[in-house]
Amino acid sequence: MKTHSTHTGANITGNSSVQYLKVVVASLLTLLCLTLSSPLWADSAAEKVQGNFAGADYWREVSGGTEGYTTSKGREHGQLINVSGETWRQWRNRWVSPGGLMAIGGSFSVLALAYLLLGPMRLDKPRTGRKIERWNPTDRALHWFVALTFLALAFSGILIMYGKHFIPDLFGYSFWKGTIALCKLVHNYIGPIFSVGLIVMLLRWLKNNFFTKTDIIWFLQGGGLIGNKHPSAGFMNGGEKGWYWALVFIGLTVVGSGFVLDFPIFGQVRDTMQWANLIHGGTSLLLFAISLGHIYIGTVGAEGALEGMKTGYVDETWAKQHHDLWYEEVKDQLIDEPLDEKEKPKK
Amino acid sequence: MARMKFLCDSERCIECNGCVTACKNANETEWGIQRRRVVTIDDGEPNETSISVACMHCTDAPCMAVCPTDCFYQTDDGIVLHDKDLCIGCGYCLFACPFGAPQFPQEEAFGERGKMDKCTFCAGGPEEDPVRQKELYGANRIAEGKLPLCAEMCSTKALLAGDAQVVSDIFRERVVYRGHKDGAWSAVTPGEMSEEEMAVRAEAFATDASSPVIAKA
Amino acid sequence: MKLTKKKYASSGKADSKGLGLSRRSFLKNTGITTGGLAAAGFMGNSMIRQAEAKTALSPDVPKEVKRTICSHCSVGCGVYAEVQNGVWTHQEPAFDHPFNRGAHCAKGASLREHGHGERRLKYPMKLVNGKWQKVSWETAIDEIGDKMQQIRQESGPDSVYWLGSAKHSNEQAYLFRKFASLWGTNNVDHQARICHSTTVSGVANTWGYGAMTNSFNDMHNCKSVILIGSNPSEAHPVAMQHILLAKERNKAKIIVVDPRFTRTAAKANEYVRIRPGTDVAYVWGLLWHIFENGWEDKEFIRQRVYGMDEVRTEVAKWVPSEVENVTGVGEAQMRKVAKMLATNRPGSIVWCMGGTQHTTGSNNTRAYCILMLALGNMGVSGGGANIFRGHDNVQGATDLGVLSHTLPGYYGLSAGAWKHWASVWDLDYEWIKGRFDQGKYRGKQPMNNNGIPVSRWVDGVLENKDRIEQKDNLRAMVYWGHAVNSQTRGVEMKKAMEKLEMMVIVDPYPTHAAVMHDRTDGVYLLPACTQFESYGSVTASNRSIQWRDKVIEPLFESKTDHEIMYRFAKKLGFADQLLKNIKVVNNEPVIEDITREFNRGMWTIGYTAQSPERLKEHQKNWHTFDFETLKAEGGAADGDFYGMPWPCWGTPEMKHPGTPLLYDTSKPVAEGGLNFRARFGVERDGVSLLSEDSFPVGAEIQDGHPEFSDKLLKQLGWWNDLTPAEKTSAEGKNWKTDLSGGIQRVAIKHGCAPFGNAKARAIVWTFPDKVPRHREPLYTPRRDLLDKYATWKDSESMYRLPTLYESIQKQDFSKEYPIILTSGRLVEYEGGGEETRSNPWLAELQQEMFAEINPYDANNLNVRDEADIWVEGAEGGRIKVKAMVTRRVDRGVVFIPFHFGGKFQGKDLTDKYPQGSAPYVVGEAANTATTYGYDSVTQMQETKVTLCKVTPA
Repeated sequence: MKTHSTHTGANITGNSSVQYLKVVVASLLTLLCLTLSSPLWADSAAEKVQGNFAGADYWREVSGGTEGYTTSKGREHGQLINVSGETWRQWRNRWVSPGGLMAIGGSFSVLALAYLLLGPMRLDKPRTGRKIERWNPTDRALHWFVALTFLALAFSGILIMYGKHFIPDLFGYSFWKGTIALCKLVHNYIGPIFSVGLIVMLLRWLKNNFFTKTDIIWFLQGGGLIGNKHPSAGFMNGGEKGWYWALVFIGLTVVGSGFVLDFPIFGQVRDTMQWANLIHGGTSLLLFAISLGHIYIGTVGAEGALEGMKTGYVDETWAKQHHDLWYEEVKDQLIDEPLDEKEKPKK
Repeated sequence: MARMKFLCDSERCIECNGCVTACKNANETEWGIQRRRVVTIDDGEPNETSISVACMHCTDAPCMAVCPTDCFYQTDDGIVLHDKDLCIGCGYCLFACPFGAPQFPQEEAFGERGKMDKCTFCAGGPEEDPVRQKELYGANRIAEGKLPLCAEMCSTKALLAGDAQVVSDIFRERVVYRGHKDGAWSAVTPGEMSEEEMAVRAEAFATDASSPVIAKA
Repeated sequence: MKLTKKKYASSGKADSKGLGLSRRSFLKNTGITTGGLAAAGFMGNSMIRQAEAKTALSPDVPKEVKRTICSHCSVGCGVYAEVQNGVWTHQEPAFDHPFNRGAHCAKGASLREHGHGERRLKYPMKLVNGKWQKVSWETAIDEIGDKMQQIRQESGPDSVYWLGSAKHSNEQAYLFRKFASLWGTNNVDHQARICHSTTVSGVANTWGYGAMTNSFNDMHNCKSVILIGSNPSEAHPVAMQHILLAKERNKAKIIVVDPRFTRTAAKANEYVRIRPGTDVAYVWGLLWHIFENGWEDKEFIRQRVYGMDEVRTEVAKWVPSEVENVTGVGEAQMRKVAKMLATNRPGSIVWCMGGTQHTTGSNNTRAYCILMLALGNMGVSGGGANIFRGHDNVQGATDLGVLSHTLPGYYGLSAGAWKHWASVWDLDYEWIKGRFDQGKYRGKQPMNNNGIPVSRWVDGVLENKDRIEQKDNLRAMVYWGHAVNSQTRGVEMKKAMEKLEMMVIVDPYPTHAAVMHDRTDGVYLLPACTQFESYGSVTASNRSIQWRDKVIEPLFESKTDHEIMYRFAKKLGFADQLLKNIKVVNNEPVIEDITREFNRGMWTIGYTAQSPERLKEHQKNWHTFDFETLKAEGGAADGDFYGMPWPCWGTPEMKHPGTPLLYDTSKPVAEGGLNFRARFGVERDGVSLLSEDSFPVGAEIQDGHPEFSDKLLKQLGWWNDLTPAEKTSAEGKNWKTDLSGGIQRVAIKHGCAPFGNAKARAIVWTFPDKVPRHREPLYTPRRDLLDKYATWKDSESMYRLPTLYESIQKQDFSKEYPIILTSGRLVEYEGGGEETRSNPWLAELQQEMFAEINPYDANNLNVRDEADIWVEGAEGGRIKVKAMVTRRVDRGVVFIPFHFGGKFQGKDLTDKYPQGSAPYVVGEAANTATTYGYDSVTQMQETKVTLCKVTPA
């Protein structure tokens, strides 16, 4: 009987989530229940044949996202039901959002633990005072450009994702209004700039980042955490290469999906946007979680690492310890430099 | 407590677009923004059916759930409204909405969409100055004890608006006349029906829509 | 977190600019006064933007509530217009209005946009060297008047054509006909000619009056409704409220017969697709089954129908196989529908342009009537011929005689008719006669000869003048509220426009007529008011007359139609006669005086008792009228039917309630009952035409009787029921000409209908086809049927002009033009669409002219959905439109909507409109591609079926 088919029809939408989308079809259920007892019911089937009444089949068709004719010129306005919207919402709110929080939280915890338990990685030997150029000004400019835009995007992105849960309560409506508007502007305008920087950077550093056998050993030794011997490394060690490729794969995914979201001028439909958004959210949060590791090692995690990116030069000791193979290649280019007078090269 | 809902009776909807222009009349949205639209499925075929659709003021509104700014709020009557001052035009509500209700005045590079606009159930918005409220959100008929103009002006009384209870009562009566229950299009759910009737106008409108139009068997 | 309403942090203080915003500053703010106009003018169609018209007025400004009637169709929906400081700021649904209960279609729901009018014609304009120049009203009237007088001197009054409007109020329509009469011509007509003229002729010649017999509200009582060539979902959406109520509450069977699967068809119980132009064949096919099975109402036919046997003979030829061959409908469905109609009585028939706009239109309408007569569906609640009229006042303008073949009230053009109106006007008949051309053409005098109909004015300009029954060709045209793009043969029309010496367009909008030609001078545009800037009465399709308030003052420099008429009359020297008994205040004739004047003369159809006072009383008491019966219960209008549907007999003092259902014998005539009219004599060939054993309840003459006259009263011994004053007036007169109304009063006192009591006639011996016959359209793809169903012979003269039939049909166009072209409505637009396409709320919804084409044809022709195509009519007119590939239309049929204008054969004419007055949407006019073909009785144009070819553009 068609009563049951209506039920089924309703459940198609109802099933996808527990208590969502009580829309549309579900209402039929009510009305149906309310009127089931009606004695007039008997001849409804006969009526149905003659008129083209919108019955269960029709609703099923509609809730399947069928498109029709409309005079509205709005994009996708011919579609009565956007079937993927609710799925997107579930994915975003139930998985991406908490998942991202967990990834970031997890990353923080691991790093905090590492700091507390292992402490920062010190140089094994005292500095020699001899410096070697590791990053030329272009490299450094590029790095910091990407780093700063990355941080701007990360913070604005995080506020877009999580800000509403605490900022308005903590700082009030006006502050939140300004903040979130700024976050959106920052995210949408800096995003493309970051992307350009990232791509240039990745291209520039590509040659140093192909994995070699050395890197396998580096990884096997956990970058020095396993065993008491520093693993060998070239200009880039395994960890850095890992970060590089994370940026290539995850970073470019973030960039690509961001582009889809940021330039809704190519006729992207909602479905595309939903995918782009999930991918963008997931990958960017993951990237941010990973970036925390990079930031940790680059700052407090490893003595002497930040120096390289700040000044362009690293100490001989540091180079030997972390990048022994590279050190072998470039040790003839060492420059003597007193520890306190960096600017004056000697002899 | 009253729970405001729309219900479109597709057995009655003839795609005359009266609801669409009534909305323009009440809210004066700019060219290109149609808060309400009529969709005809199987156009020109024996199963042709038309349905008027706008924001359905969902109880568990997906737009609210995904809005990064939390600019949405639901009134005591269950009407989903949003704060245009807070809206950043990100488009998430549009991605999530099952009905394609949110609309944006523009769609440009760098995600410039302007402030989202959607049906307010003719309940205005969070703005106390009436002139500015009208400009930003359109009419606030609810405050005057009136229902949305689209439903009030529907040519065949296909589009009903008001308290879920009243609206479903009207539809139930139609179901009895017809001997079949097809045609309803709404976001009314069982749990939301309450004993309490909405204020004066819902009653008045329901009476207008139902009696003697449909109240007489 | 829940955001509560935040504080209003305004930059200024409590913003008071909303308070006391005057209409002037409102207009200024909305950018529609002169300043903003220039800017608006630069907005091309491509950068369409709604002129900012935020009516964000503070609620503190006091509101005035006006009651008006929607001006977009003849359903007559009530509207509450709220006005603040002279600005129309809100429109509220009139839940208490007995027709629409607050409901509106897209057009009605956007009525308030008329208060913005940003694309209106703002001031009088004149075309000088191809440029529009602003002129003053005085200059315009002077120049136009001088030119008209010159034409009158040289060619006589018939060379100026007065094309009136169904959008005039009753008062304006009446004054317009009177105006043309006093100018001295019958070359006056309006849209009714091209919308329901064949209905009026066919229906009036069947049972007396050519109007919708029942009402929208009465359709609640139908058990079946058959709609042929009518699509109320788009043309009369609020009527669908009533039809769907019948379907739901009364289990009425809805049958839609249409070549196109319309939005109405989608709501039907049965949809029947026929080949365009085969209505008579279809109806005879139904009657074949009805007669075959004895389903006809024999008693009704015996009592009230004359000539049905001759119909039977014709119907017998329409065996199912022949019907299928001609119409395309199979026997099973024919029988099914016939049975549905037979078993679901009372039933009503509805038809519109799909039935009327054919060379055989008058045959179609009569066939529909005969179907209802055979089923006994006439004169009963839930039955009737419910003919939905088009424009808001097309019924009123028809009734008030804005027609080339009659004076107001269908009195015709005989000397008697002129004398009747001369006495109503209080003018000397001889003086009026002297205003006309005294010549004789083919033995006919212009004063008593039908004028050129609006469908043929093009021929009035282009035809060799020796072949026209008047002194000279038309030399000047006055388009007073008319959309020329609603007329066929656009290409020839352009030629005619270019041949004219002067074109005067009086309209709120410039219209397609302002731009479609390549003239460089001799064109005047005069801005007229809408009905919201004036007041007066309007007649709905169901014959109810409704009063409108004035909502706003005239926008820009526009003037009301009656003021413009007065100004012209003054210039042309007959203002004193035109307004002899009508006061003029501030150059505006007083509306109520005009109503009272036509009240004094419209006895034929009972427009006599609807005084302005009674009409206003009804207007104030909408809520007292019943939604089912339209009868007031209590209140000031107690017992009246809403709007006093005509005939509302006698004088206002007689308090006749109006006639809600025509020919309904179940009520006394005094309470709105009636019988068929005795219009065609009392006998023919020795057989009585009067009814047998059928009479209205309470009639003292319990049988058929002729119409009432002084003689009949005396014969019956009722003469002394007249008062002495009435006797003086009634002497030598009849119910139509007795200005005292005494004859009508006495007839009704005795329970009799003043117009007699006769049978309806199924045969009309004065028409080219005595029994309606199927005849193929002039442009038919079915050449094989021409042996049996050819059209008529060419006519040397119809309505002053030679008219072609056979000589066109004989040529075979079907090889080169294999597809049937038909046209119709879109719900968003009305008529030629100039007004509605200038309303951004509506224009936004239909931005492009299109043609519906079946997927089969589209694929064969290599046409994709939304691709540009050329549709070329069989006479070579071409339009470039978007293809809409859809199954709404059958294989071999293309449908085009007729509301577009502003493009001509591929050329965009937007820049030819006066600055700032181009509509938001322009498109090819459907009728650029339509062809020749005119009804043999009324000269209705054939737009619903011709031939075309489609090619990708």
